[in-house]
Amino acid sequence: MTKLLLYALVLGVSLLAGPQSLEGQQRQITGTVTSAEGTPVAGAAVSIVGQNRTTQTDQQGQFTVSAPAAEVRLRVNRLGYAMREVVVPLAQATVNVRLEADALSLDAIVVTGQATSVARRNLAHAVASVSARDVERTPSQTVDKALQGKVPGALISTNSGAPGGGVQVDLRGVSSINGTADPLWVIDGVIVSNVSIPSGQNAVTAATGLLNTTSVGVVGGSVQDNTVNRVADLNPSDIESIEILKGASAAAIYGSKASNGVIIITTKRGREGAPQIRFSQKLGVYQLSNTLGARNFTRDEAVGAFGEEVAAYFGPNGQPLQTFDHEKLLAGREDLSGETALSISGGTGGTRYFLSGLLQRDAGIIENTGFDKQSVRLNLEQRLGSAVEVRLNNNLLHTRAQRGLTNNDNAGVSYYMVLPFTPNFVDLRRGADGLFPDNPFERSNPLQTAALGKNEEDVWRFISAGDVKVDLLQNDRQSLRFSLVGGADYFAQNNNLFYPSNLQFERDDGQPGTVVRGTSNNLNLNGNANLVHTFSPAGGAFTATSSVGVQYEDRDLNIKNVIGRNLIAGEEGIDAATTVNLFDVRQRVRDLGVYAQEELLLLDNRLLLTAGIRADRTSANGDDAKFYLYPKTSISYRLPELASFVDELKLRLAYGETGNQPLFGQKFTQLLANLNIGGVPGLVSGGVLGAPDIRPERQREIEGGFDLALFNGRANLEFTAYDQRISDLILQRTIAPSTGFGSEFFNGAGMNTRGVEVAVGATPIQLDRLTWTSRTTFYKTESEITELPVPTFRVGSFGAASLGVFQIEKGKSPTQIVGYNGRDANGIAIEEALGDATPDFTMGFTNELTFGPLTLYSLLDWRKGGDVVNLTRFLHDAGQLSPDYLLPSGVTAPRRVPECHPRCSGMERVLGFNTYTQQYIEDGSFVKLRELSLAYRLPEAALRRIPGRVRDARISLSGRNLHTWTDYTGLDPEVSNFGNQQIGRSVDVAPFPPSRSFWLSIDLGF
Amino acid sequence: MRTTVKKVAQPLLLGLMLGSGGCADLTVPDYNNPGLDELEGQPTRAMMIAAASGLLIDARGGITARTGYVNALGILGRESVTLDGSDPRFVTEYLVGPLTNSGAYGGGNWAAPYATIRDANTILNSLDRVQPALTNAEKEGIRGFAKTIQALEFLRVINTRDVNGAPIEVNQDPRAAPAPLVNRAGVFAHILKLLDEGRTHLQAAGSSFAFPLSPGFSQFATPATFVRFNWALRARVESYLGSLTTGAERTAHYRAALDALSRSFLDPSGSLTLGAYHTYGSGSGDALNGLNATVIFAHPSVTRDAEKRPDGSADLRLAKVRTVASRTQLGVTSNLRFTLYTSTTPVPVIRNEELILLRAEAKWFTQDGDDAVKDINLIRQRAGGLAPISLPASDADFVTELLKQRRYSLMFEGGHRWIDHRRFGRLNQLPKDQPNHVIVSAFQIPDTECQPRGSSTCSAAS
Repeated sequence: MTKLLLYALVLGVSLLAGPQSLEGQQRQITGTVTSAEGTPVAGAAVSIVGQNRTTQTDQQGQFTVSAPAAEVRLRVNRLGYAMREVVVPLAQATVNVRLEADALSLDAIVVTGQATSVARRNLAHAVASVSARDVERTPSQTVDKALQGKVPGALISTNSGAPGGGVQVDLRGVSSINGTADPLWVIDGVIVSNVSIPSGQNAVTAATGLLNTTSVGVVGGSVQDNTVNRVADLNPSDIESIEILKGASAAAIYGSKASNGVIIITTKRGREGAPQIRFSQKLGVYQLSNTLGARNFTRDEAVGAFGEEVAAYFGPNGQPLQTFDHEKLLAGREDLSGETALSISGGTGGTRYFLSGLLQRDAGIIENTGFDKQSVRLNLEQRLGSAVEVRLNNNLLHTRAQRGLTNNDNAGVSYYMVLPFTPNFVDLRRGADGLFPDNPFERSNPLQTAALGKNEEDVWRFISAGDVKVDLLQNDRQSLRFSLVGGADYFAQNNNLFYPSNLQFERDDGQPGTVVRGTSNNLNLNGNANLVHTFSPAGGAFTATSSVGVQYEDRDLNIKNVIGRNLIAGEEGIDAATTVNLFDVRQRVRDLGVYAQEELLLLDNRLLLTAGIRADRTSANGDDAKFYLYPKTSISYRLPELASFVDELKLRLAYGETGNQPLFGQKFTQLLANLNIGGVPGLVSGGVLGAPDIRPERQREIEGGFDLALFNGRANLEFTAYDQRISDLILQRTIAPSTGFGSEFFNGAGMNTRGVEVAVGATPIQLDRLTWTSRTTFYKTESEITELPVPTFRVGSFGAASLGVFQIEKGKSPTQIVGYNGRDANGIAIEEALGDATPDFTMGFTNELTFGPLTLYSLLDWRKGGDVVNLTRFLHDAGQLSPDYLLPSGVTAPRRVPECHPRCSGMERVLGFNTYTQQYIEDGSFVKLRELSLAYRLPEAALRRIPGRVRDARISLSGRNLHTWTDYTGLDPEVSNFGNQQIGRSVDVAPFPPSRSFWLSIDLGF
Repeated sequence: MRTTVKKVAQPLLLGLMLGSGGCADLTVPDYNNPGLDELEGQPTRAMMIAAASGLLIDARGGITARTGYVNALGILGRESVTLDGSDPRFVTEYLVGPLTNSGAYGGGNWAAPYATIRDANTILNSLDRVQPALTNAEKEGIRGFAKTIQALEFLRVINTRDVNGAPIEVNQDPRAAPAPLVNRAGVFAHILKLLDEGRTHLQAAGSSFAFPLSPGFSQFATPATFVRFNWALRARVESYLGSLTTGAERTAHYRAALDALSRSFLDPSGSLTLGAYHTYGSGSGDALNGLNATVIFAHPSVTRDAEKRPDGSADLRLAKVRTVASRTQLGVTSNLRFTLYTSTTPVPVIRNEELILLRAEAKWFTQDGDDAVKDINLIRQRAGGLAPISLPASDADFVTELLKQRRYSLMFEGGHRWIDHRRFGRLNQLPKDQPNHVIVSAFQIPDTECQPRGSSTCSAAS
């Protein structure tokens, strides 16, 4: 109620105070902002405390600001520096401000709504910020990979080692079962697509069991195509900053699209002043970083395993004539990779621009794999008078991923599905005649498939974001700003797969040669209009920021696939196909949301109160006319001077609600109108029962914590705990198939996700020439199904308990893995929870040591726990090719799995299959050296000797994913055969092998 | 706090919702497919006709999948083996066992027939609401066709589940509690009832169907000819029931079988391949026959057990397999592949050769041994090129001979060997590739069917 009174007061006072305060005596203050080293700081925000005017420093660090004719306090803010306030007496007209580096980013400005922001110092919820510097330290193929290990509260995992994307960003644990797993990505105010579109490789691998299907029509289903999530297209070097709103309390203003969190990217902009040119060249190499190894055979062992025919591979001494490291032959390439980036930025006469270009070419470790990217960006801003600012950010992107043939298959073609059955004494290499030998042990020769097959994904994408800001009113007391943001994100994804008829497996299947042409068009249109009013009474007792807005979004994805088989004369053209199958799927969702929000900054900017509400409706809901409401509220208070060494303690508490929309089509019960039998068309039911009354999932989150700054900014501690109650979860339960339907969508279950996030930052050493900064993050989350109106059911993996399956069960973790643990007296398998895919905790360790011009930086990413279903191991055991297949010495007869686990031999593991599953559920703990770099900044003296006007130059050596410490026996515990999944990740089936990369980079600034 | 927030914000929001086109229409239709509600509501004639033809697409579902009806039952009956590097469960589940009730292996061959049954029920439920209305004869034709196809699908269900039973009263709200499980006798009775009703409808269906049938049913494309297919199915069901019963009951079933055969398309002098088929095609939207997959091998006993012709050459029906490079997986070896199927070859539903053998069986068990042997010899000579046999000395000897002829004549066409060995109590005569292998006698009810009933396993009370 007090809040209500306050609000009325604020509105009333501001309206009264408004016109009057336009009057009054003014004076000009000019000055220069420099860094501790004396270099000018451009782009710093300079404002008068208690007033609404802000100006920015230009390229030379200079500013001019108008101030009342009285003593004022000048506040200077710049990302990366500690905020500074200086008192400027009435007599003083110029002031020079030196800013200290702020390693801990307390003064970063953090968005709190569609159109509002607040200093991190005051923020009431934990928001992770990642700066351009953090993103760029070590080259990474995609933005999401660059975030790995850096964000407490985020679990960022690659799905395989394939070049390009395929990365899942999980913010604050499991929030859904069948909804999307991806957070909302917002670039410069515009929601962009992060959709993963199947490549169509299922037409070759038959991973779903059926060749003549694609996964394109699957709604929320499993996709085994090793898909790329489209955030992979973005150019990391265009990014100025990334803010990650992890939970509902921060993200509520994004309503029903935000329960997986929101990732807000701001791209670089130009600053007033002469053109600045930055050029960087990187050269590097990717290298296979782990192999599974092979079993070595004697002749007798081989004959025992494969029959008498294999004796010919062995010499008279019983040893193989030759052995081959198939993994290295397949994935041992170390071709040169490179990246060239150029940017020009500057501004004059109210125009500011940022122009950038990127050429990136990452060579894969397997023949015919790699990832290329080209990007051109132009960010343009124009001020029109003092009240209007217009901005247009345009980005043209092209990516091309070649990802080979990996993950599960049923056709004996995926590389790591074939190797488990191909012993090391057989030669698969290309012969002198240029031809590859057939693999006598399986249906394909992976070296041949890699050399002659083609699996390309080519994407052209255009992202355009424009906005207009109009200051309708601006004076000492209040301001009213209208902003209109509009954006379009269009991409065309072309998948081109060609497996020619001379491939071993193609010759064999009666339909030689396969070609897949996929064309996907996606258009995201969105716009929002906002009105932001700020008011601060004379004396600056409080600042009130009120905002209201409306947002509209239209996402339209159309996927067309043509699969051709039996190619005439092995031709690649789709018209050479004798058997053709067509698929056409369109998914469109339209949303409308409105919001209102009030922020009050009180008590000398120490107390921040926020409340807001958003109302959303979407075509994906059963009732597309109904608004769903998502409120939020928060409070934070900074305690002054508790002790001499305590700079500040901030306590914060926030509550918010968000939703997770149903996916397109979950409300429909479809009939399939794309089938015929011998040319006679027919209509059959689709097998999935839609929910005509489906509604969004709802997440209610309470988050609380504190931030502690110590020793004059030399150390800080952030602690956050959150508790999410998620209700109305959309379930796809398996229903009795005798109904004629396989499954049914409905809203029902409830879940509770809890966790803590801790970040400790410190600058233990800060000397003239030596600085050591260190940051350690800790994150733990766990979830529990609290409400389940239906019997226990399974999701993900292959649906079979013998292979390990995820089971949704009341009172249990949604990521629990259930499998067999023996049989009862009747021979019925006993099913038990044998693992959980959610890690116990994760920690990140970032350290930076600067010694004069040298900077050494490292990032260690530790994930403890989190089980992985290792079916690649099962395949090797079944093929009798695991390196530890034979019984260990001293063991004469195979033991039951419980007797030897976890040190069973491959033979014991596979003999125990179908009775036990734990031998294939492994602890996925790891420590990865994600990033390591050593940079050398050329001193002034050296720069002067370089021709041209080089302002700064840096040379660095760096590496990514250099080493992994793990007991996991598979290729990489970061794995997901089924792509991005809330539940159902961590299933290891023949993934693309992992790689490390080494880089030499030169960065020049002119 | 929350209520306060709402008090402040709701008037504001309300204004915004109205002011910003809060009542704007966001409707997005399903661009991809028609909805079931259209067929359940007031379907158009075109929709109803497509749905009727669709039953043959449904009925083809899962027939030629590797875990489908022909191959799964083929493996259990040791007609085929599947040696798939990517998936050893074809050995571990079907041969090593036990066959679990979860996943596509032990849990398979269930959802597909019930999907057909559901679609047929949807048609039967809304047939009277079609606009513009169908004629009575057209409706009767669709009813007769739909019920006969339902009978065929219930037969697929009970052939896999046998004594475990199956639900039959499935024409209900799919969101309701699942229908009760009924034992084997109950399911067979339901099949006979559907065939009877179907036949009655067909007899009132006029001279032609309102909907096109697939090329596999070209011999049965009118109500008058489709009735013969209905009778043929009945002959198979009655023979199965005859072999599962004794005494007077057995005789009655076999007599009914003989009656049905006489009204079916049986033709001792006609082509043995005359019959109804599931068809496959390479056109878009059609399905390919998956039984030519390179991982599917014929069981090595196929050549070993074959009889010789008078000239010493092998049974002509051995042309159904050819020798290829040997493959071994988990102790199971084969060097034989079937020549029966390309990716577009049809798969028999029921054909003349089976009807002749059904007649032999029914005659034998209705005390007409001479005629039974005539039919057996007809097949021996016409299909196998073998010498005729004389009257077997006992029922057991006759069954041995009958099963052998059925094995080679109906090889890898629909699980006949496994079903035959089971109904004559001879599963123990099937060969095991390894001593630890088992002979599965029936698929369990899938766990997905049992879980809504509150348990991970279930079966009908016998």
